[in-house]
Amino acid sequence: MLEIKGLHASIGGKEILKGIDISVKEGEVHAIMGPNGSGKSTLSAVLAGRDTFDVTEGDVKYKGIDLLELEPEERARQGLFLGFQYPVEIPGVSNVNFMKTAINEQRKFRGLPPISAAEFLKLMREKMAVVEMDSSFSGRGVNVGFSGGEKKRNEIFQMAMLDPALAILDETDSGLDIDALRIVAAGVNKLKRADNAFIVITHYQRLLDYIIPDVVHVLYDGRIIKTAGKELALEVEERGYDWLIKG
Amino acid sequence: MSGTNYKYAPSLPEEFKCRVPLPGTVQALVNNGILRDQVEFDAGIKIVPGKDLGFVYNVPANCIAKESLQVISFRDSGNTSDISYQNSLVFGKDSESSMLLCTHTLSMDQFNTDEIVNIDIEEGATADIVVMQNEHNSSRHKVTFRVKVARKGNVRINVVTLHGAQLDNFFEVDLKGKEAKCELNGVYLVDGTQKINTEVRMNHLVPDCWSSQLFKGILDDKSVASFTGRILVAKDAQKTEAYQANHNLLVSSAAKAYAQPQLEIYADDVKCSHGATSGRLDENALFYMRSRGIGASEAKLLQQLAFAYDVLEKIDNDKLRQRLYDLVESRLRGEFSHCDNCSMNCC
Repeated sequence: MLEIKGLHASIGGKEILKGIDISVKEGEVHAIMGPNGSGKSTLSAVLAGRDTFDVTEGDVKYKGIDLLELEPEERARQGLFLGFQYPVEIPGVSNVNFMKTAINEQRKFRGLPPISAAEFLKLMREKMAVVEMDSSFSGRGVNVGFSGGEKKRNEIFQMAMLDPALAILDETDSGLDIDALRIVAAGVNKLKRADNAFIVITHYQRLLDYIIPDVVHVLYDGRIIKTAGKELALEVEERGYDWLIKG
Repeated sequence: MSGTNYKYAPSLPEEFKCRVPLPGTVQALVNNGILRDQVEFDAGIKIVPGKDLGFVYNVPANCIAKESLQVISFRDSGNTSDISYQNSLVFGKDSESSMLLCTHTLSMDQFNTDEIVNIDIEEGATADIVVMQNEHNSSRHKVTFRVKVARKGNVRINVVTLHGAQLDNFFEVDLKGKEAKCELNGVYLVDGTQKINTEVRMNHLVPDCWSSQLFKGILDDKSVASFTGRILVAKDAQKTEAYQANHNLLVSSAAKAYAQPQLEIYADDVKCSHGATSGRLDENALFYMRSRGIGASEAKLLQQLAFAYDVLEKIDNDKLRQRLYDLVESRLRGEFSHCDNCSMNCC
């Protein structure tokens, strides 16, 4: 589903990603771990199409399409989703309006008519239940006045609404207490299917107690320095990153 | 339209029949400054022609209006010379009423209109006034609102400026009785080489009065907006509360916004604040929206609408607010600029 080959990216002339190779297949959950500043968030931003980063080398094929050629919204319409580490507040745009616009823009791309009001309401209710979100959130401005945990739940809610083929969750666990973490993880597990895939970027192993990865990558200084099965996460938790970096 | 109690003034030209009549609204037409017909409704509320041009509107004392008045002022080719006139609006003691003032241009002539609107809010009266300005690209219109608010009077004016070559909105407000209140809100949308100029003089002449101003603008292309707001607090006007804010969103790099907040305070026990900002679209928010599949132009539109909404939400009447919201949206989509003249289906 996703083939990243030799990906280099820089910001303001400073190289952050120095050759990334990752291959994700349908039905898989990949975890990307790594210390702060290793390039985890840059990787997710580049995949989602943030133009503050320059891709200097390499390519990314998503479902056989050259992903880097697409605008951020085109990537989303092709089924890519980025869960933000720091979800953005948009005062004056209600969650309902935001989601309705997003869904209809995606439906338009697929040649479908706009979603009916009844259908939309039903979908909202259903997906809010997935993340145990209170219905009062729907009328409020996107992420405005939300706590850290509420913002992250809202990311998972949006993911559930949009039903992406590939979801990249950038440190969705950061700043979450254990209950919120469980809710977020349960949301991901409910959405997991044989025909979609997840890339979970995390600093800690903790999240991986709830979302079991098939593959774990360790990213350090812009490179993947180790790829293994889920046991790697436990080893990192126990021994830290030093043995990998020095080795 | 059936099903509503919308009343058209007699002999109303077809093109002016409101396509979106608001329930409980009575309509009066002012053509090139001349009130077409005298209208009376709702237990004595009356609009009659002024001596020369303009109109005189009167809400009798103690009248709690069930219907509201929509005055549609339009310029057309019937008189293309410069005109100036005064209107007089008197809101009687302890009355409660609302009105909508719309201005339009119907032909592509160069119009110059200079209008003074005298508003008297008598003791204990409450007036809720919405102004909608939608004129074509060679129309210049200056409106001076001279507002006097007596003791415990309460007036709110919400201005939605959609279109026009040069629009000047001046407000001179005297809070002259204790516990008088005045709220002025405005949203203006300008593009091309349009200019909008807003000046407010909020005069707190006596103690215990309250005022608030919120003006927000969205500027595109080479448009220019200026805001000059003065709050004057007289020597004895203790316990004054006065707030002022002007925020501009510059969508293009050539648009210009000028803001001059001025506080002139002679009393020593007052609460006053002012703030002025100008900024651009929030790139983070745009990327966030795009990452959900919302196209770049739609994302920009959503952000601009959200910016304007702060002012629009001050309009209490749900139907009117929604109608104006829709007009702001189509304006931001650029639909207005496609029209040759200003019959923009908004009335």
